[in-house]
Amino acid sequence: MAVLLISLVALTLIKATPLIYAALGGVISERSGVINIGLEGMMAIGAFAAVVISYYTREPALGILAGIGAGALGGYVLGIAATRFKVDQIVAGTGINLICAGGAAYGLVLIYNQPGASAQVPALGREYWVLVALAFVAAAALHWLLARTPWGLRIRACGENPAALASAGIDPLAMRVYAVTLSGALAGLGGAFLSLGELNLYSDGMTAGRGFIALAAVIFGRWNPLGATFACIAFGLFEALQYVLQGRIAWLPADAMQALPYIAALVALAGITGKVRAPAADGVPY
Amino acid sequence: MPEPALVLRGIRKAYPGVVAVDDAHLELYPGEIHALVGENGAGKSTLSAIAYGETRADAGTVRASGTVGLVHQHFELVGRLRVWENVLLGREPRRGWRIDEAAARSRVLAVAERNGLAIDPNAFVETLPIGVQQRVELLRELDREPAVLLLDEPTAALAPAEIASFFATVQGLAARGAAIMIVTHKLQEVIAYATRVSVMRHGRIVAQMETAATSVDEIARAMVGGELPSVAARAATQPTPCLSVRALRAGSGETSVEDIALDVRAGEIVGIAGVEGNGQTTLADAIAGMIPYDGTISFANEGAQIGVIPQDRHREALVMPWSIVENVMLGRQHRPELRRGATLDRAHARADAQRIQERFDVRAATLDVPVRTLSGGNQQKIVVGRALIDDPNVVLAYNPTRGIDVGAAALVQSRLMQARNDGAAVLLISFELDEILALADRIAVMYRGRIVGEFERTNVDRGAIGRLMAGLS
Repeated sequence: MAVLLISLVALTLIKATPLIYAALGGVISERSGVINIGLEGMMAIGAFAAVVISYYTREPALGILAGIGAGALGGYVLGIAATRFKVDQIVAGTGINLICAGGAAYGLVLIYNQPGASAQVPALGREYWVLVALAFVAAAALHWLLARTPWGLRIRACGENPAALASAGIDPLAMRVYAVTLSGALAGLGGAFLSLGELNLYSDGMTAGRGFIALAAVIFGRWNPLGATFACIAFGLFEALQYVLQGRIAWLPADAMQALPYIAALVALAGITGKVRAPAADGVPY
Repeated sequence: MPEPALVLRGIRKAYPGVVAVDDAHLELYPGEIHALVGENGAGKSTLSAIAYGETRADAGTVRASGTVGLVHQHFELVGRLRVWENVLLGREPRRGWRIDEAAARSRVLAVAERNGLAIDPNAFVETLPIGVQQRVELLRELDREPAVLLLDEPTAALAPAEIASFFATVQGLAARGAAIMIVTHKLQEVIAYATRVSVMRHGRIVAQMETAATSVDEIARAMVGGELPSVAARAATQPTPCLSVRALRAGSGETSVEDIALDVRAGEIVGIAGVEGNGQTTLADAIAGMIPYDGTISFANEGAQIGVIPQDRHREALVMPWSIVENVMLGRQHRPELRRGATLDRAHARADAQRIQERFDVRAATLDVPVRTLSGGNQQKIVVGRALIDDPNVVLAYNPTRGIDVGAAALVQSRLMQARNDGAAVLLISFELDEILALADRIAVMYRGRIVGEFERTNVDRGAIGRLMAGLS
């Protein structure tokens, strides 16, 4: 029983980690006023880029950096689309999701001559616990940065009333591009953790909606980094449960167990609708 | 004569199809309070945006002796941030990476104290009354120690008592050497508080006067370039019961209303006086049938028609990209005369729009231009015209002249008076006490969701109304 409990806790933390990175990205983006629907795609492209670079360099650490860079690039594209070109944020983010998933699928064929999955590449091994710990450090740090620094104050003002920021002499559009880029970098890191931390390859659809779960965690956590992290741990627990309980509850089909995190996200969101307040200018172009 | 703090010379600014400012000259001197007045679309806002540096002039020069500050009509504040965060946004005092919050708070307090403004730097802006929010906006500019301070319609949302204390602050600033320009529609305030006044018409500054040597009438004539349309005379009527409200309770929180009893009779105007945010919107929405309520709202005659002039013409009354004709149809599309079988009778709607254009002097190139392209005054004329065109039994007018120029306002007030003379029951909710005093046969004062006093036109006591509006009894 004790062994089971320890493995449940460990698995929960591991499963929560990519969600936390993506959710922190979502918090930054939304606090600056951009809804980042593209988190899912940024995770995917981060996971893919990490595998490719690790494949060529045989250095998983470089792969992780590549994942961060690829996610940041996705974020930058969304940021520019949502600000300079005033594309609807939801449409642009959905576009990012499609391009990233499609790009990675095409890349698999180009690089590995096979659809569906990459070859196995050097992965992180035990070092991935550093990234698990770092996720929690990042959550605390982001909380502090948002609450206590000029940077955080400006991000918050930007998501509430960009005109106020503009009249203080700061360009809200530049602020948003910057925030969404950072958001993408974090989502990319989450994706890289999936492909090089938990696994050692990229396969199509491996992010499996985690970007959207992270978005749910942002809302459930009331746009607060610590709240979002807590929500991610809860969703991670449901994901971990399916592994721990597999084969132990005979009457519950495996498919139903796999659906647990998604059902949990849905129930959580339905439960808090109307009780939370998004940043006033969240999703509103400036 | 001291050196001017701000000099505008030969300013010109054209937008596609319209010259907003044309060869404007203006000098502001330290210590003066200079009012800039003019009808909507006369170029005041463009000129102040140019003075502030927000807009570039096509021609002419702007020279300022120091920083220029601008207090916007619609505050640019962040409601969920604290007062000090709003004031110092972009100029935060630092200690290492973080904001030095103690220094920030004391800096805001120091600026507030220097200017005689009471403020709690820790309060969240969204919890503050409008008048205090404006103080925050003012503090943000004052922290930059501007040599020139531009104020755009600063008293539009303030209660009478707040207006007096606002001007006390502004006068203190001027006394310490700031040059102040106030863009406003309120000519009484110009006379009472400004030292000089410049009048704009069609993009030009057409008159400049010392306020001590002029009058409201003279300024108004300069604004419209002729005589003002006079408000229709109050005809004798035989008021009969029409709209009756009993034990009304609606809304929730700060803006709810409680225990409202009100009668509006055919052939009279009942004015609801009060400071913004005391439940007027809830009352109007309940009577217009837009929100659920407890109690009764009843009409004397079966099938009474109600014409509604909502307070926010952009959000509640007009569809901005639609044409005048389409907006005139909006909300009336079920009327038999506007139907032709299953479709709309556009010819009839066009005739209606034409009637409104004639009665209200709507200035538009054609009836097919989007209402977005019209000035605020012309948009409002369409809203009021549409509310009155079907000769309603009850007219609900909520701030019918807010933010429009004196000429358009006089016309709107005149038409409301005519509707009353023709036997409509008019409920006038206005934040402008002067408007209510001018139009209403009876006045009810609202405070915190209740009616706290009623006056007949014959025994109005302005001071008593002002005290009730402020919550003093």
